[in-house]
Amino acid sequence: MVYSSLLFIYGFLPFSLLFYYITPNRQREKMLLLLSMLFCGAMGLCYLGLMLAYTVVNYTACRMIGKNRGKPAAAVPFAAAMIFDLAAILVFRTKYFIGSYSIIGWPEGIFPIGISFVTLAMLGTLIDVYNGRISEEKSIFRFALYVMFFPKLIMGPVLRYRSFSKALGSRRDGLNEIGIGISIFVKGLSKKVIVADNLYMLYKAVRSVDPADMSAMTAWLGIAAFLLSLYFTMSGFSDMGVGLSHCFGMRLPQCFSYPLFRTKIRYFAARWHMQAMHWFRHYITKPLSSFSRSRIFRRCIYILSWGAFGFWYRFDMNGIVWGIILAAAIIVENRFSKHRLLAVTGVIYTFIITAFAAVFLACDSISDSLRYIFAMLGGNKMFADSLGFYLFRYYVVILLVAMYASTDLFRNMLIRSGKTRFRTVIAASAPLIVLTFAVLCTILLSYSGSSGMIIMKL
Amino acid sequence: MNERVNKFTAVIMLGFICIFSAAMLLGGKESFSVDENRELTEMPEVSASSLINGSFTEQLSRYAADHFPAREKLIAIDSRIQAELSEKIVNGVFVSGERLLDTGAADRPDTEKSAEAINSFNDSYNGAVYFVCVPTSAGVYSETLPPYMQKNTESRQISSLYSNLSADIRKIDAYNILKMLNDSYIFYRSDSKWTSYGAYCVYRTVIQKLGFSPTAYDKYTIDHVENDFRGDLYHRSGYAGVKADIMDIYRCKGDTNVISCTGRDERGNIYKRHLFDKAELDSSYKYNMYLGKPLPLVKVKTNVNNQRKLLVITDSFGSCFVQFLTQHYSEITVVMPSEIKGSVRNMVDPGKFDQTLFLFGIDSMSDSSIFEKLN
Repeated sequence: MVYSSLLFIYGFLPFSLLFYYITPNRQREKMLLLLSMLFCGAMGLCYLGLMLAYTVVNYTACRMIGKNRGKPAAAVPFAAAMIFDLAAILVFRTKYFIGSYSIIGWPEGIFPIGISFVTLAMLGTLIDVYNGRISEEKSIFRFALYVMFFPKLIMGPVLRYRSFSKALGSRRDGLNEIGIGISIFVKGLSKKVIVADNLYMLYKAVRSVDPADMSAMTAWLGIAAFLLSLYFTMSGFSDMGVGLSHCFGMRLPQCFSYPLFRTKIRYFAARWHMQAMHWFRHYITKPLSSFSRSRIFRRCIYILSWGAFGFWYRFDMNGIVWGIILAAAIIVENRFSKHRLLAVTGVIYTFIITAFAAVFLACDSISDSLRYIFAMLGGNKMFADSLGFYLFRYYVVILLVAMYASTDLFRNMLIRSGKTRFRTVIAASAPLIVLTFAVLCTILLSYSGSSGMIIMKL
Repeated sequence: MNERVNKFTAVIMLGFICIFSAAMLLGGKESFSVDENRELTEMPEVSASSLINGSFTEQLSRYAADHFPAREKLIAIDSRIQAELSEKIVNGVFVSGERLLDTGAADRPDTEKSAEAINSFNDSYNGAVYFVCVPTSAGVYSETLPPYMQKNTESRQISSLYSNLSADIRKIDAYNILKMLNDSYIFYRSDSKWTSYGAYCVYRTVIQKLGFSPTAYDKYTIDHVENDFRGDLYHRSGYAGVKADIMDIYRCKGDTNVISCTGRDERGNIYKRHLFDKAELDSSYKYNMYLGKPLPLVKVKTNVNNQRKLLVITDSFGSCFVQFLTQHYSEITVVMPSEIKGSVRNMVDPGKFDQTLFLFGIDSMSDSSIFEKLN
């Protein structure tokens, strides 16, 4: 059950809100846990079992580390839990262990969605507890809620334990928060159902042609559609998650802050999947860079951590290449950034680099990616063909809408307009806008009932 | 101000969601959708395995979608919005001004397994096996599709299927016959299947292979029994902008005549059937006028006095084809494996026939489970 399904929106969501708000204040955390477990169970009891295993193993390990703090014995539970977490993600994210599913009783063909986020969160918590940066959580209920909290399960922000427990402790629920939450939820839903799904159709249409017969125009349309669709899918799901958390009074941070169409790759990188990026910076880049002050060494570490980030996306070479391209581009850019670029040139150059990098996220293998890039460069001696014009004609509107919606132009316009009438009108009509988009999404979901395409299985 | 707006949003949205979820929960549950012409999903049964692998929730999600309030109206609006948002593809149906076409051809699974099953049927069979694979309208009118779908997918699928079949199976190339005639009304505009005329064009070649000379076109009286037929593609896309279809029945002017037409299901219940069941024209899927609602087995006896019997193993393409065979055989047994749960051999013994005709649409061919029932 993904958030973008009728069963969730008109079934689970009102049900969980009702049960949450009729529960007395002191028991609400437990109610949230119960609802989250129900959500996990609905994804399959095997999924609930896996999440419970994560909870028990990591909770026990944290408690044991806490008890043996400062002693060498603390390393044993630390290492054991680390191995468990890493083994779990390897088993489910790579294809090498499919044969072992029957041994652990895991049904075939089921992917535990969101497992990559849970693993990152668990690893981070273990490291923090081991280093003594945070003290271990005593309550298994709160720890279980950290693992299973359903609004952040699918693609929600990777939160460090401290931020999560702070948000949980300082809940401010109520009608006001529900209003904000549902607005954000509908925003995310629209991103997914209206924009991402249609752009993914465009990408699929392009990919039905062999890259060797592809014109440059078609290839560029395809990769632009992929990049936008990826952004709208991931930010859509995380918006839905953030919105849902708001409904329960928890303010979680946004994952994306308008990363596309920036004037520098650096800005793109700083705004793309921020919470996950923070994790890699915090647990990989920083500790490793402390070994040496050498500039070259630090740059290597920087590239390495981006490679790791990319690897986490795809679990193959392509992901690593994506990370390395971006990191290398940022390093080169920082070196030459004294030359000021015009805004337009900057946007174009950033888009071109991110598009080339995105080819590696989109394609199945390195050779496939290279052939695709070859087509983008016009290597097939075709710059535009009838297919390109056909797709352009039908998708240009949604592409332009997506491009506009992926920037912060509208938000900035609202901010700049100050206390003018324009802003008042927008604010007053907000409920109507939200309702309209909710109806629109419901209509678009009415045939299939859900929109589960997530591009990347994280 | 902001807080008031937020609260107002919350109230409106909660109200909206609650109305729909109450309607979904309490609303009447139809078991059949007239507009969509299909059985709607039933409330899934709880089982240990479906709970463990989460398929229970998937079915529940399907169920919720199928019984969503005002579903049919929403789908009709959906098709209009969808066609504006992107290409003219709605729920996998390509909408051109003239006709609706299925776009799923490229995603069809390989037909190799089906071919194997038919080969092993052929190996254990003493008579002659004839094989016709019929393209869908999307294959015959592929040039109407968007440029990237025009790669003759169906013709390639059919020729790869034919090359996987044993050499002694007699194959009839329906694709090229139909492709050449695609100026004529051989396929419905809103359905993926052929019209009676399309079936007639293929019949001319098939019947020669079976050892008869075809009945000339002018020997038939043709009745337009229906001029408001909306097919499966219309039901899927909800797009009403394409002209409704005409359904024809062909009757031979001579004295040949159907004596009896009986259907049988797997439990052995006998049903009376008609070659043309006009009562079905009032049902939601008028195509069932040909031979009535699909049954595992239908036996047609005619007054042709040559004691020749034909076994036809087929899918819905065949039900409209049988009308042309009645002038040549004294008994025709039509078997639809897709309607059979167990083995085909429980229904009929192929050894009693010296000719077997397989007639399938290419999209049934990619479902190997249909053909595994043959053996």
